[in-house]
Amino acid sequence: MIKNPSHPKKSIRKVKQCKFTKAGLEYIDYKDVETLQRFTNDQGKILPRRVTGTSAKHQRQLTTAVKRARFLALMPYVAENLR
Amino acid sequence: MSNNYYELTYILNPVLEEDDVKAAVEKINKLITDNGGVIEEVEEWGLRKFAYDIDKKGNGYYINAYFTAPATTIAVLERYMRIEDEYMRYLTLKFDAKMLRHRELVKKNAVPNIFAVEDEVVASED
Repeated sequence: MIKNPSHPKKSIRKVKQCKFTKAGLEYIDYKDVETLQRFTNDQGKILPRRVTGTSAKHQRQLTTAVKRARFLALMPYVAENLR
Repeated sequence: MSNNYYELTYILNPVLEEDDVKAAVEKINKLITDNGGVIEEVEEWGLRKFAYDIDKKGNGYYINAYFTAPATTIAVLERYMRIEDEYMRYLTLKFDAKMLRHRELVKKNAVPNIFAVEDEVVASED
């Protein structure tokens, strides 16, 4: 399985790429709520790196950006409609 | 003394009258300039709905400002906003080199869209 490149289990795995690195973005803005929301789940939790494929450097920036947005009530700490 | 580039976002009480809002913004601008700062841009986002309630209020008046100022100005500003009731929240950020470069892109309206590539792929698949 390991040596066979055409093995189905091998081909399924999708290569994840950091979207920020790809776009060449240097700073993640807390005001850009729409972007930030795509990296949180419907509860408002920040998605882990293993799900989004973000690089470690950008994940750190993303976390601070989300937390700043939360402080200014641009994003929720906890989503209200869910319980 | 070196001047830094700052970004200040603050939220005003939504109960305020239009004149009071104007006065509150003026006051902040005046504090910045009086303490040796130079305002570059003040942008009023206006009334916005909060993602959660702050002080039992559902919305607030957002103001976003960019300015250069000596570090001592910030203490004065923040102290004033803590004391006065009409300022509900404030966030001051000092810009480093990366953020400054990003700010230049924002000014030129040339911020790379991080989902651009992905959207293209989706479009070609359809």
